[in-house]
Amino acid sequence: MSYSKFIARLVTERRGLVWLVVALLAGASLYVLITRMTLDSEVLNLLPGKFESVQGLKVYNNDFAQTRELTFALACQPNDTDKLEEFAPIFAERLRAQPWTTRVLNGSPMETPEGVHDLQGLAVPLLLNLEPQDFSATISVLEPAHLQARLRRLHGEIEAGSPRPEFELQLDPLGVVAPALKPFAGNAGLQEGEPLVSPDRTLRVFLVVTNQESLDAFACQALMVKVNAFRKAAGAGWDGGRLQVLVTGRSAYVAEISLSMRHDIVVTLLGSILLVGAVFFVGFRRWLPLLGMGFSLLLCCLVALAVGLLIFGELNMVTIGMCAILIGLGVDFAILIFGRYQQARNEGSAHAPAIEEAISKLGRAIFFGALTTSVGFLALLLGGAAGFTQLGVLIAIGILVAGLCMTSVFFLFTRERSLPPRHDWIFGLVRLYVRRMLRAPALILWIALPILLGLFAVAIIPQIPLIFDASTKSMEPKKSDAGYALNAIMTAMPTRWEPVIGIVRAPNEEQLHTDWQKVEAHWRALREAGAIKDFSTPAALALSPRLIEENRKRLGQIDFAGTRTALQSAIAQEGFSPETFTAGFALLDRLQAVAKGTQPVPDWRKQLPLTSSWWFLVDRYFAADPLLSVGFATTNKPVETHEQKEKLREILPVAGVRMTLSGWSFTLTDLLPWSHHQLILISALMAFFDAFLLAVLYRDLRLWLIQIATLVLAVGAMIATMKLAIIPLNLLNVLAFRLVLAIGVDYGIYVLLVWQKAQDVEHDVAGVLKPVALAGLTAIAGFGSLGFANNPTLSGLGIACAIGLSWSLFATIFFTLPAAAIAEPKRDESSRIVPG
Amino acid sequence: MISKLAFLSLLLIASGATISAEPLAPNDVKALLEKIRAKRVGAPQMQADFAEQKDVHLMNKPISSTGKVWFQEPNKFRREVKGSSPSITVSDGATLWIFYPKFQSAEKYSLGKRSPLDAGIAALTAALNLEHVENSYHITASKQGDGFELLLAPRNPSLKRLLKTFDIHLNADLQVQRTEMVQPNGDHIATSYTNESRAPIPGSTFEFTPPAGTNVTTPLGR
Repeated sequence: MSYSKFIARLVTERRGLVWLVVALLAGASLYVLITRMTLDSEVLNLLPGKFESVQGLKVYNNDFAQTRELTFALACQPNDTDKLEEFAPIFAERLRAQPWTTRVLNGSPMETPEGVHDLQGLAVPLLLNLEPQDFSATISVLEPAHLQARLRRLHGEIEAGSPRPEFELQLDPLGVVAPALKPFAGNAGLQEGEPLVSPDRTLRVFLVVTNQESLDAFACQALMVKVNAFRKAAGAGWDGGRLQVLVTGRSAYVAEISLSMRHDIVVTLLGSILLVGAVFFVGFRRWLPLLGMGFSLLLCCLVALAVGLLIFGELNMVTIGMCAILIGLGVDFAILIFGRYQQARNEGSAHAPAIEEAISKLGRAIFFGALTTSVGFLALLLGGAAGFTQLGVLIAIGILVAGLCMTSVFFLFTRERSLPPRHDWIFGLVRLYVRRMLRAPALILWIALPILLGLFAVAIIPQIPLIFDASTKSMEPKKSDAGYALNAIMTAMPTRWEPVIGIVRAPNEEQLHTDWQKVEAHWRALREAGAIKDFSTPAALALSPRLIEENRKRLGQIDFAGTRTALQSAIAQEGFSPETFTAGFALLDRLQAVAKGTQPVPDWRKQLPLTSSWWFLVDRYFAADPLLSVGFATTNKPVETHEQKEKLREILPVAGVRMTLSGWSFTLTDLLPWSHHQLILISALMAFFDAFLLAVLYRDLRLWLIQIATLVLAVGAMIATMKLAIIPLNLLNVLAFRLVLAIGVDYGIYVLLVWQKAQDVEHDVAGVLKPVALAGLTAIAGFGSLGFANNPTLSGLGIACAIGLSWSLFATIFFTLPAAAIAEPKRDESSRIVPG
Repeated sequence: MISKLAFLSLLLIASGATISAEPLAPNDVKALLEKIRAKRVGAPQMQADFAEQKDVHLMNKPISSTGKVWFQEPNKFRREVKGSSPSITVSDGATLWIFYPKFQSAEKYSLGKRSPLDAGIAALTAALNLEHVENSYHITASKQGDGFELLLAPRNPSLKRLLKTFDIHLNADLQVQRTEMVQPNGDHIATSYTNESRAPIPGSTFEFTPPAGTNVTTPLGR
């Protein structure tokens, strides 16, 4: 028994059994979805994981405290800058009072007594960590003569009105803290490029570390609910003009992205269902098959998602586009098969034989169509991006299931008594076109070919460029409060750009110290040579247990009693208040205790209170694991090109130090070759696969050439449209080209396979052309509906595919057919009257 | 910390005796400021001798010093302290130098970067020329004998961090005789001025080049 006969009997005579299988399949899929559904909202999983820079970005995004950092900004009108300056501390206090904050930074920690006190707490370990020569020079200030001279100088400076003595005595009464902190202060130099107030004073930034326990999407949403409630009330007491309370940061983005997923699912799915359903109904004017198509597609989505979950364990947000794409593609099979079924019924066949004929005539085409599309989507695996890998696999599974469902389950929704409408205006139009095309194919070609060739010329001439946007902005959600806030801050403070980050993980403290000392020396040389603008490393805080022990022994040589006496004498002689030196005497006691070994060398991490603003600086360099650290190099210009990135990769690393270079701009430029590779090589591979498949299918050189030309012209028109409409390519929508090649080729396959075997050309070709046109429109609608998605990668991919498929359909109807009619003319034997 | 500069610099201003005060109405204050401005418009520079006493929380006893000050609108000044701890402070409006001849050392500060230092210099120049002073301070005034007392309270938060009150005493010729400044940390600086002159001042007075061998530091790193 043939496959078509078997299916026809199954769906007409054993309907209960088929329904049972369907119910089991749907139940099992639902069970998997309910029990295992985990959504991955990590945007970095959209990038190929094989790149070290991507891995580095993931480490930086996940392991460092900035993952829990929110950046608030207050933006006021130009006339209200003084009011904003007065309001800022009030706002900061309100932030500190929130139960979700751990600490807040609204100015230099040095401007507060707590900040100065905290810094003094770091002095002993940092002093002991100095290189031997620096350490000796520093502790020499404790000699009586030096103490006396220093206090005399400070006295003179006070008389002169210098601001320095108060600062110096407040922080460092003994004169040993400042040298100990010098490497630390030097490394904090990059912070000066990151002011918390905009130059025009209309915007003030507040950094907040939250106490968010989990970083998952739901935790971020819960946090942002509280944050947004705070934002609404935070302006209370402000009496100026409009005041914006902006917030950005990882949690803000994750909350928005995860919430926008819901929006995207609803909008794209509903959009797709409505558009596709409308096209199907206009084409066939039947409700039950429409319902059957929807049911079958739903089943495909369920099965694909369930299998996807079983394979990957979790689903990335990009896979939300899967359903919309699957509907747009799977409906093709329904339209084709139902079109052929209706044609058979119109010609007098009964229900079961019509099903058998439809499957018999189009089953092969649908199989190859599903195969090429699946291969096209499976080619996403070659990109190496987890999100797109999942998308590719899920659609490949879904499309194969769709091919199976549309040639079986779908027929459960057709009825013996249901006959096609007597007047089918679409079929009438299509038939009229086919008739005229058969009579004068050259005329059609003369119209269509110049259009396609003209667009092809536009596609290849370099004078009209195709924009390739590799900026971080191309990855941001379209409508994002967090993105708006970030943009407002960056616009108000355009003083610097994102640095390149160098991540170092060491097996122990000593190695970490050695590594960063090497990097520090190398980057300093680079800065002095002008190769980089600035840098900042955790070298000062990466302590060496060896140095500390050696210096502790040297400290034991100091006569602390003599020092104390000399200090007291100098204070009295210069007329200083003894209270000014209280902290100095306390430090002397600590140093003496450490030198004698009666007190261990304090751990600087334990010296800093949890609320200390200095943690903002420390956390910038160290992950939760203190052996994982990061340094920053600011380039002379923003990193925008692959050449810049290559140069940095050449100069920044240090021999013997394993360092991962990363950063958003660095990573995106790192991905440029990958993206071009995706665009050219993988698309070319897809084209070769198409070409091979077509050769096997047609076994006819002329038809094969026509189909290849169709693909080339369609892709050319797609590129030209994107050029003329200024639609940029980005790192991810380059994937559209292979999809267009995979899907667009199907239209030609359907048409040319029928053309090859047509007995009654007008009848047979019109019979397939109507479903092909409808299928093309539904696919365009399916992809086009992704354009409504908030997720830029999804919408960009959808728009690019919709453009490409539009031209594929155009080229199939107005180029492939007339070209085939000229290349392989067939005698018009149409004598039968086909309704419409 | 940096606020100290303004705080200490503001010691420059003149002295006058406190006599019975008759508060002026707001319109009279406005008229008085207008009068001061009109008087000084023809001679936008001044020089005077000063004597200063600082009560600084860092020190046990007040510090007294004497010297001379030069000022040129809008923001150039020079201040020379005599005695056992001599110093020269010079600003051309863009850079502030403090030179200590005894220690052969100098401090260099860049101005115009919206640092607290700028607020300090603004406070200083406001006292010396009172130009648009009402934009930065709430001003109350009273008649004292044949002179006036202006009490300035900062409007602007950056000035508030430097100054709590700023008291300026003027004589009948509307010359600054004495200033008293109280800072938020309690430091108090009183400066009295004598021998005020509005004769032209050579531009080189507001320029400074450290002598050879001077150890120059930039405490704010800018």
